[in-house]
Amino acid sequence: MRPLRFALAQGVLLNDALAALRAIGLDVSRVDGGRQLVVRSGDVEYLLARPSDTATYVERGAADLGIVGKDVLMESGARLLELVDLRFGACRFVVAAPKDALERSLDEYRHLGSLEVATKYPRVAEEHFRHRGIAVEIVKVAGSAEVAPQVGLADWIVDLVATGATLAANGLAVVEEIAASTARLVVNPSAYHLRRQEIAPLVERLAKWAECR
Amino acid sequence: MGSPPRTAIPAPPRGFRDILPTEARELRAIERALSDSFTAYGYVPLEPPMVERADSESVLAGDRLMRFLDRDGDLVVLRPDITTAVARLVAQRYHDATGALRLAYFAPVFREQPAMLGAEREYDQAGVELVGPSGPLADAEVLALLAESLSRCGLRGTSIEVGHVGVVRRLFDDLTVDAREVVFADLRRGDRVGAFTHARGAGMGDAAIERARAVLAARGRDIESVDVEGVTELREVIHLARELHQGEPLWGVPNLSLMPELPYYTGVVFEALHPESGFPIATGGRYDLLLGAFGAPRPATGFAINVPRLHLALFASGWRPSRERTLVSLIPGRDPREAARLAARLRSKGVAVAIGAVAEPAGVTVVSGEAIDGERLRLQGGRVVACDDLARELA
Repeated sequence: MRPLRFALAQGVLLNDALAALRAIGLDVSRVDGGRQLVVRSGDVEYLLARPSDTATYVERGAADLGIVGKDVLMESGARLLELVDLRFGACRFVVAAPKDALERSLDEYRHLGSLEVATKYPRVAEEHFRHRGIAVEIVKVAGSAEVAPQVGLADWIVDLVATGATLAANGLAVVEEIAASTARLVVNPSAYHLRRQEIAPLVERLAKWAECR
Repeated sequence: MGSPPRTAIPAPPRGFRDILPTEARELRAIERALSDSFTAYGYVPLEPPMVERADSESVLAGDRLMRFLDRDGDLVVLRPDITTAVARLVAQRYHDATGALRLAYFAPVFREQPAMLGAEREYDQAGVELVGPSGPLADAEVLALLAESLSRCGLRGTSIEVGHVGVVRRLFDDLTVDAREVVFADLRRGDRVGAFTHARGAGMGDAAIERARAVLAARGRDIESVDVEGVTELREVIHLARELHQGEPLWGVPNLSLMPELPYYTGVVFEALHPESGFPIATGGRYDLLLGAFGAPRPATGFAINVPRLHLALFASGWRPSRERTLVSLIPGRDPREAARLAARLRSKGVAVAIGAVAEPAGVTVVSGEAIDGERLRLQGGRVVACDDLARELA
């Protein structure tokens, strides 16, 4: 049988994820976010991947476990077991609008019956507005949704914010919060059942570590 | 790979594919093994239609269904599973039946899938439904039949995990009905973090949450220390199933982590897992609520095998279908009537004969020979052999 494979999301979560794994006694010294994306260390093989790919790898069983943000899980819709809230990488999905134009856009909504919403997260945005019963046109962008209202691409945006500084710098204010997100330990369900003896101790130690933070 | 055709021929729509002869032959071998197992337990075949009315009860959300308007303006759906069709059919045709109905199927189902996931929109499901009986012996029968079907196909190293939705439900008994439904929806999605956050928010105490967490992690020996109603039943079902099917020793692993995605399960549930597959090969369990949705409440249990996953797991572990008899490719000589007579004669002796060259042997051994007259043929390599001798050699 191949070694237990642990997928780690590259990017803002990686350092905290590695610190968590170190704290529970795993040797991650050779996982440095460099060019080598698959690193074997003891009984575990680490796989560095883009955040959304992490969810895909674990869902399909190409990796057994992963550390990835709840935001990514929400947007991907991947079916996997979400076992531990690791409590780092906190951020929020929010709806934001130009500070001075909130009233005007609401008026426009009453008038025209639809708002344009720019976002990198169409799935989260669509579900939120469907749930709220608000008719919107989603405009998917690949980055920097916060400029969309300034240049007239959209009325509002749905974006992921940590501190809110980027929103403020672009003259945007939070209209409402959709969901809070933190890093999660995720497991492929079949692997969780079949390799319970290897996986359960990791889950337990990470849960304890997260609780003590 | 040869050179591509001059004009591009469009491939089938995304998620649909051609099953070529070699694979089709393997699938037929699997189908035979499965249907032999189903028959041995007294299950009879059933064929519901490919299309159902879209306003009928459904196990999946609308965006997972393949729906379209027919010429009458009715919204219809390509069936996403067979169990729902069986529930409808039983409510309509067998609503007065009092005994046990044992039904089996092997048929394609259709599910809408997002693009770019490499997911199939059409695949074969094989399974059984046992309608009428409840209790451990009925649960054990279906569980044993799953184990037996997979092993008769030649699959080794399967782990059959057995859980109990009722036990999990009892962990959250103190919550209000609404709160419990929220928690259960989280659990069915696999979101344990969300489930416990919601449970705590609804007033569940730390001790109860810790207990639920421990029970939801219990597998194998761990369940002996779980004191929740239903665990004894779970163990009894596994013990009975081991009597019904003598598989690998101690097959059937009690596992309270099991929580199926579909909401209609009520009791013992199970999954067949294999190290070669990231997804379950088969899922099943007791679903006493589904027939009620069609107005004819009755206990029921069953399972569905995802045939492509079973095939992949078999293939990855080195399985190949048993050899079929050799095919003779008979090249006609000068007189086509002699060749025709020779072919008829060979076939009457039980030899498979294709006249002319064979472009797609589908994994079958092919012996090529040229007809000399109505009695003899010259095999490749020059040996001349009489029709009856060849039939004996190939028998």
